[in-house]
Amino acid sequence: MSAPSEPVADVLRRLTVVFTQFEQDLEATPIIRRLTAGRFTLPDYQAFLVGLRQQVRDGAQWMARAASSIDEAHFDLRSTVLRHAVTEHRDYRLLEEDFVAAGGDIAVIRGAEPNIGTEALTAWMFHEAGKPNPFGLLGAMWIIEGLGSIKAAEWGALVRKRLDLPPEAVRFLLYHGDNDAEHIEEFRQMLEMVLPDEAIAARIVKTASVTARLYTLQIAEMLA
Amino acid sequence: MTREAYITGVAEFLPGPPIDNDGMEDHLGRVGGRDSVFGRRALRWNGIETRHYALDHRGRSSHSNASMCAAAVRGALDDAGLGLEELQFLAAGTTQGDLLVPGHASQVQGALGAGPMEIASFQSVCASALMAAKSAWLMIKAGEHDRAVACAGEFSSRWFRPSFYDGGDLVDAKGRLHPEADFLRFTLSDGAGAIVIEPQPKPDGLSLRIRSMELTSLAGAFGPCMWAGAVEGDRDLAEGGWSLAGPMASHAAGAIPLQQDFTLLKKIIRAWIGVYLQRVDEGSIVPDAVDHLLCHYSARSIRQEIVDLLRNTRGMIPEERWFSVLSEVGNVGSASIWIMLSRLMRSGKLLKGQTVLCIVPESGRAMVGFILLEVV
Repeated sequence: MSAPSEPVADVLRRLTVVFTQFEQDLEATPIIRRLTAGRFTLPDYQAFLVGLRQQVRDGAQWMARAASSIDEAHFDLRSTVLRHAVTEHRDYRLLEEDFVAAGGDIAVIRGAEPNIGTEALTAWMFHEAGKPNPFGLLGAMWIIEGLGSIKAAEWGALVRKRLDLPPEAVRFLLYHGDNDAEHIEEFRQMLEMVLPDEAIAARIVKTASVTARLYTLQIAEMLA
Repeated sequence: MTREAYITGVAEFLPGPPIDNDGMEDHLGRVGGRDSVFGRRALRWNGIETRHYALDHRGRSSHSNASMCAAAVRGALDDAGLGLEELQFLAAGTTQGDLLVPGHASQVQGALGAGPMEIASFQSVCASALMAAKSAWLMIKAGEHDRAVACAGEFSSRWFRPSFYDGGDLVDAKGRLHPEADFLRFTLSDGAGAIVIEPQPKPDGLSLRIRSMELTSLAGAFGPCMWAGAVEGDRDLAEGGWSLAGPMASHAAGAIPLQQDFTLLKKIIRAWIGVYLQRVDEGSIVPDAVDHLLCHYSARSIRQEIVDLLRNTRGMIPEERWFSVLSEVGNVGSASIWIMLSRLMRSGKLLKGQTVLCIVPESGRAMVGFILLEVV
């Protein structure tokens, strides 16, 4: 793995700072605190999956919309974002199956009302994705993919430890944890396609910060 | 109006001969009378080959924490060309002092037999060294005193003897100690270090101008990660401390020994990196301008994670500028940073004008500090 260019490394550094702050904010949310403090219950896990589903389902959609807002001068980036959308657009079904395997009723998760944070997060994502060349959303991808590659497996392992669930009830969280190095490499390549450009760099970092804050709100609103 | 301040003396004190991996359990003793199952793995992780203990092979102590600190203070004063009677301020840091009460600095002053002076005690984990040093630095900067010493010491092995575990819930039915406790037995060891701070460099030889010293604690976001005094599930609860249940019941519950939460540690490492990269972003730390890096880390695995992330973010200080003596002196907690600095000062590698960066991460409850020094 070669070293990233300076502008890309500078953005990665700022994004890492945003992510570490995000991680601290998540730790302080009631449901994650319950999980890490060993007070997590099965209803908490079900509420967690219900709370995540909407955003996971929307994720592939805003990514596809963002891809269609990318112009021909950035064709390779459009291809990469579309591939991401395809990879992820069935993930929410896996999450639904986990919910059922953990004793939940499929009608409950499908009919659930998005929480306040989810409303804000979804509205923000689709708003950004509709703008021409919405490169700032690379920052949103950093946050959401970082959750997948860093936090999901850790949470999945804790859920299994606390609730004594079979692996087929925790697949969504556990399956996300692999290939961290590959994700970072691919993300670097995407950044190389739009940088150097100071305005874009600033927008990527700002979008990451907003997404992190709204995501934290979504998690903070989840409780059984 | 503040003054410049300089480190004019540095010294380490390590008790007894170096003890290799095969000999260490002779000094610590064997929990349940058996060799540790987990110890070899811990040693592969932390990469330590030799360390020092203030316990002999029959478990008798040769020193106290305070007397090791006193020896380091004498060494640092000697290095600075000062006598004990010239000392005006003594700050002392440690993880666990010899006594529960009074403070560690009182015990160190007592062990020195020093005359009346101002003192300050700092109890934390590795970062207690930095807390003590910062108080000494500010005393000099503010003109409150002209000759200050900061010391830090650990007598970890004393807390790792079998009697701290035998008969408690940290030992399972097969007589094996929980990895959360056993890892630290094979990681931490004994020793002390000290620095002298004055408002001017010493007349001959090298001194270190203190450019900055700062510490960031993230305890509001994370629970205790390395702790003693509570069982795992109670460590973040207000009512969970050992003193409520009393010493006998706490011993039986396995609440007394030091433990480390490995899952939380991974998160805390990322938080340390976040704080460091923020400093790089603000320009207060410039990786390319650092000539020598002293990073006190407690495990090779931690170090690899740090390196991987830093390479991608222009935060990496090239590996040939890292100075470490971990494998030979072990992890001496709060004393590590001064032991490393003492060895660097005597290595012949320092040239006037160079920049030294000390990074002091503490896993206790998510803290990290930085010291920037200029060789003068």
